[in-house]
Amino acid sequence: MLKIEDLHVEVDGKLILKGIDLEIQAGEVHAIMGPNGSGKSTLAYVLAGREGYEVTKGSVTYKGRDLLEMSPEARAAEGVFLGFQYPVAIPGVSNVYFLKAALNALRKHRGKDPLDAIDFMKLSKEKAALVQLPDELTKRSVNDGFSGGEKKRNEIYQMAMLEPSLAVLDETDSGLDIDALKVIADGLNTLRSPERAMLIITHYQRLLDYIVPDVVHVLIDGQIVRTGDKDLAKRLEAEGYAEVRDAIQP
Amino acid sequence: MTHERQTLLDSLPSSFDTGPQWLRSVRKSAAEALRERGLPNKKTEEWRFTPVRPLVDTEFARADAEALKLVSSAREGVTVRSLRQVLEQEPARLEGRLALGESEHFAALNTALFTDGLWIHVAAGVTIEEPLQLTHGFSKTTEPGVSYPRVLVTVEAGSEARLIETYAGEASEQLTNSVVEIELGPNAKLDHIRIHENLGLQVGRVEARQEADSSYRSVVVTLGGALLRFDIRALLQGQGAECRLDGAYVVDGSDHVDHHTLVEHQAPHCRSDQTYRGIASGHGTAVFDGVVLVHRGASKTEAHQENRNLLLSDTATVHTKPHLEIDTDDVICSHGATVGSLDESQLFYLRTRGIPEELARAMLTYAFIEEVVDRVSHKPTRDRLRETVLARIPAGEAIRGVP
Ligand SMILES: Nc1ncnc2c1ncn2[C@@H]1O[C@H](COP(=O)(O)OP(=O)(O)OP(=O)(O)O)[C@@H](O)[C@H]1O
Ligand SMILES: [Mg+2]
Repeated sequence: MLKIEDLHVEVDGKLILKGIDLEIQAGEVHAIMGPNGSGKSTLAYVLAGREGYEVTKGSVTYKGRDLLEMSPEARAAEGVFLGFQYPVAIPGVSNVYFLKAALNALRKHRGKDPLDAIDFMKLSKEKAALVQLPDELTKRSVNDGFSGGEKKRNEIYQMAMLEPSLAVLDETDSGLDIDALKVIADGLNTLRSPERAMLIITHYQRLLDYIVPDVVHVLIDGQIVRTGDKDLAKRLEAEGYAEVRDAIQP
Repeated sequence: MTHERQTLLDSLPSSFDTGPQWLRSVRKSAAEALRERGLPNKKTEEWRFTPVRPLVDTEFARADAEALKLVSSAREGVTVRSLRQVLEQEPARLEGRLALGESEHFAALNTALFTDGLWIHVAAGVTIEEPLQLTHGFSKTTEPGVSYPRVLVTVEAGSEARLIETYAGEASEQLTNSVVEIELGPNAKLDHIRIHENLGLQVGRVEARQEADSSYRSVVVTLGGALLRFDIRALLQGQGAECRLDGAYVVDGSDHVDHHTLVEHQAPHCRSDQTYRGIASGHGTAVFDGVVLVHRGASKTEAHQENRNLLLSDTATVHTKPHLEIDTDDVICSHGATVGSLDESQLFYLRTRGIPEELARAMLTYAFIEEVVDRVSHKPTRDRLRETVLARIPAGEAIRGVP
């Protein structure tokens, strides 16, 4: 589904990603772990198409197409979803209003009829329940005045509404209390499917106890230095990045 | 009736021979002050950012004919009469009430020259649900014309009413120089919606004089205009009075709009809130100047003022100057002004959800002033305004029809 080859990315003239190779198949869940500032969010933004992130070398192929050529909205239409580490508040634009516009834009792209207000609200209720997002929050302005945890629930609610093929989830677990983490993890497990791939960026083993990844990558200083199975995450948690780094850098 | 064309100053007569004595003398002193002082020029501080020449130099013909129309029907407790008629039949009732002049420019011109207008009187102790609707229009003419709409609104003690004024007109050389005076008795409430969708030249003045515990809520929506200068003043004269002055303006093309607000806290325990939002694109210019004066003795005043602007093109201009003058202790005041562009991270967020860029821009642009449009309390007017505003903002077409 996704193939990243030798990806180099600069931000403001500074090289952040220094040759990433990563391949994800449909149905797989990959986790990326790595210290602060190693380039995890940068990778997520590049996949979603944020401006100002210059690809100086390498390629990203998604469903056989050059992803980097596409606008952010075209990527969304093709099924790419980014769950933000820091979701932005948008006062004046209500959650359901913008999501309905978004969903119907995607449906149009996928050759489906737009949902009418009643079907949309039904779907919205169902998906909000999945992450226990209070109905009231779906109607408020996007993330406006939401707590940290509510913002994260809102991200997964949106993901559930938009049904992406590839979900890149940037620290969706940060800022969640223990119960909320479980709710979100359950929600994500429900969304796991053979047609859908997930790239989960996290600092903590805890989320991965619930959503067991097929592959774990360690990103340090813009490079993937280790790739392994779920046990790699456990080892990181126990030993820290230094050990892993030293192990590969003689 | 045809009039010769004259500049505004030249159109002032040398003597005032009709109407009650008190009005003649008010008009005379307004005219004398104007002749002495002249109309504003480039150096006049309050007109610093607004080109006044087209108003001062053009020769206009009088064109009041259909300037002012009441479109709503009669209702219990409300009397709407022609000012001319009241001045003929019971002039004493208006004495002291139509006196804007002396220190004014265009309002003084209106005081000196208005020939008719409306007096809307709401009797004490009634609540009028259905809004009173006034329209000011210009029938299409071929030469520059000027009209002087004049409205006096009196809401007696304990009453509640709603007024919707719409200024329309397609002719770019027509000048409307309007004055609306509002008197709110003790505990009276007025919701006042004023829509400027006149493409021509507009100078307007609203003054609300508020007695104790009265409430005045104004929402002004300005949809472009070749040249608009609008002044609104709320004078909080009685203890416990409150006002909310809100406004939204949209400029594009070569529009130029200039809004001045003034709130005077003259009594203790009054509250004022102001929110003005603007969107500037194309080669448009928007000016906002807001003053809050807290007089000595107006203790326990609470006054807030905010002006935010969205600048959508390098060729558009925004000038904003909010200020407070506080002459007493024990007040809570805040003010702020911003000029910015669309937030890239908000735009990106919407696009990652599949919203096309154009639509995302339109959504964020409309969201910027929606808060003000939403304060229009009359739903049919609010719905119509939403459509009209969307038709004016860049890519606004994209969200018409979206839920
Ligand atoms: N505009 C910018 N100009 C220069 N450097 C930048 C810019 N944006 C990000 N960076 C740098 O890029 C590096 C990678 O940032 P990124 O946000 O991708 O890290 P991260 O792995 O997500 O970290 P965290 O775990 O703290 O979220 C950091 O050193 C950051 O300071
Ligand atoms: Mg990050």
